[in-house]
Amino acid sequence: MISGSDRAQRPTAALAVAVIAALVCAAPILAVALIALSDGSTDYLRHLAQTRLPTYLWNSFLVGTIAALGAGIIGTGLGWLIARTAFPGRKIFSWVLILPLAVPAYVAAYAWLDLSQAGGPLDALSFGLFPTVRGSLGAGLMFALVLYPYVYLLARDAFAGQSADAYDAARTLGASPLHAFSSTALPMARPAIAAGMALVVMESLADYGTVSHLGAPTLSIGLIRAWSGAGSLLDAARLSLILVAIALFVFGVERLQRRRMRSHAASGRHRPPQRFKLRGGQAFAAFAACAAPLLLGMAIPLGRLVWRALRAPLASGLFDAVQHSLIVATISAILAAILGLSTAYALRSKGFIPVAAARLAGLGYAVPGAVAAVGVIAMLSGIQSVLDPAWRSLTGAVFPILLTASAAALIFAYLSRFAAAAISPAENALARVTPNLEGAARTLGSHGFDLMRRVHWPLIVAGVTSAALLVFVEVLKELPATMILRPFNFDTLAVIAHNYAGDERLGEAAAPALLIALTALIPMIFVARYLSRHASGDE
Amino acid sequence: MKALAKILTGVLVLAACSPAPESATETTDTAQETTRIVNVYSSRHYASDRAIYAAFTEETGIEVNLIEAGGDQLIERVRADGERSPADVLITVDAARLYRADEAGLFAPTDFSGMLPDIADHLIHPEGHWVSLAKRARVIAYSVDRVDPSEISNYEDLAGPEWEGRICIRSSGNVYNQSLMAGLIARSGEEAAEAWAQAINNNMARAPQGGDTDQIRGIAAGECDVAIVNNYYYGSLARSDDPANNAVAEAVGLIFPNQDMGGTHINVSGAGIAVNAPHPEEARELIAFFLGDFGQRAFAEMTNEYPVVETTQWDNPVLEASLPFVEDTRNVNELGENNAVAQRVFDRVGWQ
Repeated sequence: MISGSDRAQRPTAALAVAVIAALVCAAPILAVALIALSDGSTDYLRHLAQTRLPTYLWNSFLVGTIAALGAGIIGTGLGWLIARTAFPGRKIFSWVLILPLAVPAYVAAYAWLDLSQAGGPLDALSFGLFPTVRGSLGAGLMFALVLYPYVYLLARDAFAGQSADAYDAARTLGASPLHAFSSTALPMARPAIAAGMALVVMESLADYGTVSHLGAPTLSIGLIRAWSGAGSLLDAARLSLILVAIALFVFGVERLQRRRMRSHAASGRHRPPQRFKLRGGQAFAAFAACAAPLLLGMAIPLGRLVWRALRAPLASGLFDAVQHSLIVATISAILAAILGLSTAYALRSKGFIPVAAARLAGLGYAVPGAVAAVGVIAMLSGIQSVLDPAWRSLTGAVFPILLTASAAALIFAYLSRFAAAAISPAENALARVTPNLEGAARTLGSHGFDLMRRVHWPLIVAGVTSAALLVFVEVLKELPATMILRPFNFDTLAVIAHNYAGDERLGEAAAPALLIALTALIPMIFVARYLSRHASGDE
Repeated sequence: MKALAKILTGVLVLAACSPAPESATETTDTAQETTRIVNVYSSRHYASDRAIYAAFTEETGIEVNLIEAGGDQLIERVRADGERSPADVLITVDAARLYRADEAGLFAPTDFSGMLPDIADHLIHPEGHWVSLAKRARVIAYSVDRVDPSEISNYEDLAGPEWEGRICIRSSGNVYNQSLMAGLIARSGEEAAEAWAQAINNNMARAPQGGDTDQIRGIAAGECDVAIVNNYYYGSLARSDDPANNAVAEAVGLIFPNQDMGGTHINVSGAGIAVNAPHPEEARELIAFFLGDFGQRAFAEMTNEYPVVETTQWDNPVLEASLPFVEDTRNVNELGENNAVAQRVFDRVGWQ
């Protein structure tokens, strides 16, 4: 253990960035909270409590639970297979398995309902036995299938970073591989898995498109109805506070996992685990296990869209949209990774400010994007109303930039929503830099930036690039903030896909939806290559 | 950490600057002298509209800057930007949104006369705050195999016990259902409307799922016998290049209900000039163009919507076949007035 003072003096710069991150992330939510707490009352909430609220809450519970469990099981299993075993195709799977994250959940939902509903091909082929993908179960499964990469990425990195000592000891003591896994490797990876599952829960609770199409009215449906049906942004904001409370609870549970984990902290000595070579039937089973979520989460739904696309005209403006999507996703991913890593550094001091900042930052995930976007607008217009008169008194004219109409506003909105997704991975990555290791490096005369570059970076690079990748993919498919905040004539792929899908033109939605996945491939290949050259965790 | 901070600043600057060309297109004062522009906030996102914008620019030289988003989102953005909003024209796909935008004071009262000789009064805001561009009818689709169309003349008929387990209809969160309900409330009062919603909810073949097209497919697949849908979804299936879609449309017929009882429910897309429009003259020209021959034809032929200008000539056999029908001639603005009540009715009867 290093002394507290040594620890506290280091991360002042990181602390500053962490606080910025928290402000960026929390500002829109705080704006929503301000709206919620502002004056004016309607009887809408009472009406809701007497009618639909219990249904909304129950559906939210179901959808969130099914999504988290599904994604948890898929993600953990795949993470283990990729990190600790060897079988044909493993290397390619190790990054292709992230791809379903690039499929917007509502796109998967549109395609699966189209396939499975009465009169659809699955219904016809199975003589009506294949159940229609709908309701809370259907929606929860859709989220599990496209969001499991959150868990997978974090679990994979956690498993890869574990020392094999405990597992080997358990095996030596006669435990079966499964038992050794569940009693050593799994508990050690639990914080990472919990972090991933927390993101899955939050994202599925904040979703609107999927649950509304599949008929699983969750709280976010109630919230959008309060806004668009009853016309009360105020009540929508108040309802969103319930979601914020749920988020605080979920993240609290996740924290608890992390704290319990302390007792499991690995020794400073890092002995990378040896991969089990899988042969024959085992190898085939592993291959099939990896292929299944890819098929269900990506190939089948996108395939259905392509099938419809062949019978529909091609969407226009796709080339520009690819460029726009790439620009905003790249910038946001880099910024989010920096914010996430800095916050993770600041968190190491365990001071009150960084911890509070990180928790605040996590809230960005809790509120449906449409409401968060309104929060961004409310906040920007608040700033504008201060800037304009101030600028006028200085120069005689209003402030030259209209804040809500800039690409910077858009990127701000993305960060506020997704930077949280970069904190947990960075934190988990940084956990691999144990105090013992650091102490040893310091003893050998390594300090400051040199210490970071030579000791920290190789250990955390996988986690940090994974974090950036997550944000990149999220931004690619983000919809509500993009819709409301984009500058003139700035279509992204997600916008085009949604416009057609929302219009019930699945065929035309196919090309942009496919392009989202293809665009996501670009950084994935880049990252995979970089990691295989530089990282120590993955050979 | 200093290096990190440097990178951070660098990227922030980049973030603020790099995609600037897009946002620069709206610097109005300098650009106006050379090119005329009009800034459109629209919640319509159809190919027909893109074609109309292109033709408009071609004909007038006025460039169209476009933001498409949901009606509520656009309303919030225009409201937040206040006096500085660059919006010239605000277009939504539903009367309830037009009403809400108007309530928020976003439309400039406009003298549309001279632009609208052939548009019925009920399609224009009473004080000229907005005007309808195109209309759609919410109709009853039925299975040509299992339903005798003479069994149904009104929406009200579907409340009968003989329809138990036979109706497909989408979620009540959908604004078209809300506007249909708002129309019923205007005609028969809240109590009767609620009884109707309760009966429909009881008669559903399945819990609401999917969009209007999915309800039509439900009929073709035999899951239900009737559905309430917007006419253009049927049109889009019937006129699809995909034979499977054509087959779905052939299994289904459309009834335009309430011909002797208040008329078929219609909803509109409409446009108004923003109260702080920097380019009001260009905005007028664009709306006039929407209401002109090219615009009205594009709606009828590309999106299967009914033109609001009665005299327009267009070619769309599927749409043509549905004419003539008697439509509800209550001012569509009332749909917006009753929207909030409509939603509460849905909530009370538990219509998902």
